[in-house]
Amino acid sequence: MQETQLPQVIQKRLSPSNVVERLATLTTGYTPDPERELEEASYYDFPVLKAPTWHWEITWYFFFGGLAAGCYVVASIASLFGSREDRAVARAGYYLSLLSLLPCPPLLIKDLGRPERFLHMLRIFKVKSPMSMGTWGLISFSFFSGVTAVIQAARDGMLGRWWGARLLAALPQRLLALPGTVLGVFLGGYTGVLLTATSVPLWSRSKVLGAVFISSAISTSSALISLALRLAGSPAHVLRKLERLEWIALLVEMAGLFTFLRGAGRAARPLVGTAPKEHGRTFWSFVFGGGLVLPWLLQTGLLLGRHNKRNSGAGLVLSLLVLVGGYFLRRTIIEAGQTSSQDARTTLWKAQKHPSR
Amino acid sequence: MAVEPSRYTTNGQRGSLGNVVSRLVGSKMSPAPQQPAMGFFTDTSLCIGCKACEVACKQWNQLPANEPGWTGASYDNTGQLSATTWRHVLFIEQIGRRDNGQDGRHGLRSDMQAHIAQAKSEGVIPLMPPGTALPFFNTDRWLMQSDVCKHCANAPCQEACPTGAIIRTEFDTVYVQQDICNGCGYCVVACPFGVIARDEQGTHTARKCTLCYDRMKDGIEPACAKACPTDSIQFGEVEQLKAHARERLGILHERGVQEARLYGVDDDILEGGLNSSFLLLDEPEVYNLPENPQRPSNNVVPASLWTIVAATILGLFGIIFFRE
Repeated sequence: MQETQLPQVIQKRLSPSNVVERLATLTTGYTPDPERELEEASYYDFPVLKAPTWHWEITWYFFFGGLAAGCYVVASIASLFGSREDRAVARAGYYLSLLSLLPCPPLLIKDLGRPERFLHMLRIFKVKSPMSMGTWGLISFSFFSGVTAVIQAARDGMLGRWWGARLLAALPQRLLALPGTVLGVFLGGYTGVLLTATSVPLWSRSKVLGAVFISSAISTSSALISLALRLAGSPAHVLRKLERLEWIALLVEMAGLFTFLRGAGRAARPLVGTAPKEHGRTFWSFVFGGGLVLPWLLQTGLLLGRHNKRNSGAGLVLSLLVLVGGYFLRRTIIEAGQTSSQDARTTLWKAQKHPSR
Repeated sequence: MAVEPSRYTTNGQRGSLGNVVSRLVGSKMSPAPQQPAMGFFTDTSLCIGCKACEVACKQWNQLPANEPGWTGASYDNTGQLSATTWRHVLFIEQIGRRDNGQDGRHGLRSDMQAHIAQAKSEGVIPLMPPGTALPFFNTDRWLMQSDVCKHCANAPCQEACPTGAIIRTEFDTVYVQQDICNGCGYCVVACPFGVIARDEQGTHTARKCTLCYDRMKDGIEPACAKACPTDSIQFGEVEQLKAHARERLGILHERGVQEARLYGVDDDILEGGLNSSFLLLDEPEVYNLPENPQRPSNNVVPASLWTIVAATILGLFGIIFFRE
């Protein structure tokens, strides 16, 4: 009897949903108690909040905006503090920053209820509203990202040899990179601040979403730059510094995510749980497992293994994993926000003066 | 949508050229003079669930009707406030309170139950055959509440709005300028009461109760308050309404309705109270109202600081790595 039962028990314990459930309980510090939750008052479980009007456009904007910001920041660090060899990183970073930035405005405009009124965003400058600040930040950053990339193109001889190109090449790119980097950090992080400044429980209960997003911006953009450089056949030692930065960015991102989940507690269930409309499976497999832990371990191995000069295959896979993980991070957070907004009891739970009640 | 009222008045008469110049420059336009803050006080103890407010609101503001349907939960067939429903009557059925309710939450307080039991045993209350209890002794109850925009003193939707479409009017009400709103949806997630919504079928802009701004401009009370047959919805100056609310609460407590409580009057909700307040007969959560909602804009500073911390750490490591 026992011989047949024991494997079943182990099998059940190791089943994907069980593992995800345990991870969810462990990281949020909240054990679901359906019976007690049912006792909590609400108006027939009708949602307290309105569901966000944001869907795939915003997911992709967060992803591309993060890449544009991160690529610019990484490129600027390489350009300002790096050696002559690191100029390859700066060059790739500045080009990729502008390329990633291009889809952002159309995505944002398409997301509006009245796209033809997108210029109304520029009527006012409102420090209190992250979306107003984000609009101005995106526009200012676009200027610097564009100019920096054009200077880079002029210096690379892509614009020809006429006097205009020579003039552009002579512009102080490194000086422009200073305000550009500040704006880049803003663009990479404000999206998380924007989500935090809402009433949606998942987004607003913990205050570190901006930190998670800026770390993810750096990790995904280092992955993108190293992917591009590897495909272009750059030597391994050029990529070394980039890989170290990616390693630390993944680490900070993991720490940020743990802080986020712990801080949000019960409100984080839609992101990490397994119930219907909860996104735990995607989150733990694509974001946390495939997008953070696995590439981080791979990166650790690659950085420690000194003699492996031919590990470009692993490097490519690693970069792709990080990029896919970064995309799914934004996607699960946006989609779980929809679920979270429809959960009346969780919305009301922490909005009590005495949450222990 | 009702006729968009003009928000500005020109100072004095001017020639046509002067008018054109002043319109171009905009300097000769001044905001309408400040009026006393106006709002609602919705006394749910008087609500009979007739839904006249919902209908009057729809009619005056020319809002499309909902597709009739049953929620399956109660006699409420509206469900929730929406972009085209600016008054919503909740029907909360609390059956079996005498026996402490099904979930033990909505039951009568034990001292009340003891009083009834004692009165029955002493013959003060005639024992009736089952099913013929007088309404007064029947503890089952329907709570009704006409829900509406709270016109918060610190309105999260107004704080979030990136276009300046959401303004405070001269009556201190929160108003969405339909010609400015571009439907970005940030107010929708900012509102902690789920009031404001984007009109996906019609204008594609954010819409909600205007407190009948157009009627107020002409000194007429909002359509819902006008239509309410029991004066459950009262309209007036916020300070007067709040004083009245406290008085009404005192009367109800005196009459033994101990469960009566005010919402948005003295509780400093969203750090300033609500210009549209309520008298409730149960915990706010029963009405889907958060007891103490966070003010979303308070999160901007801590969230930004954490972002800066993470960016600084990564930036320093980046500099260290690339300097080597």
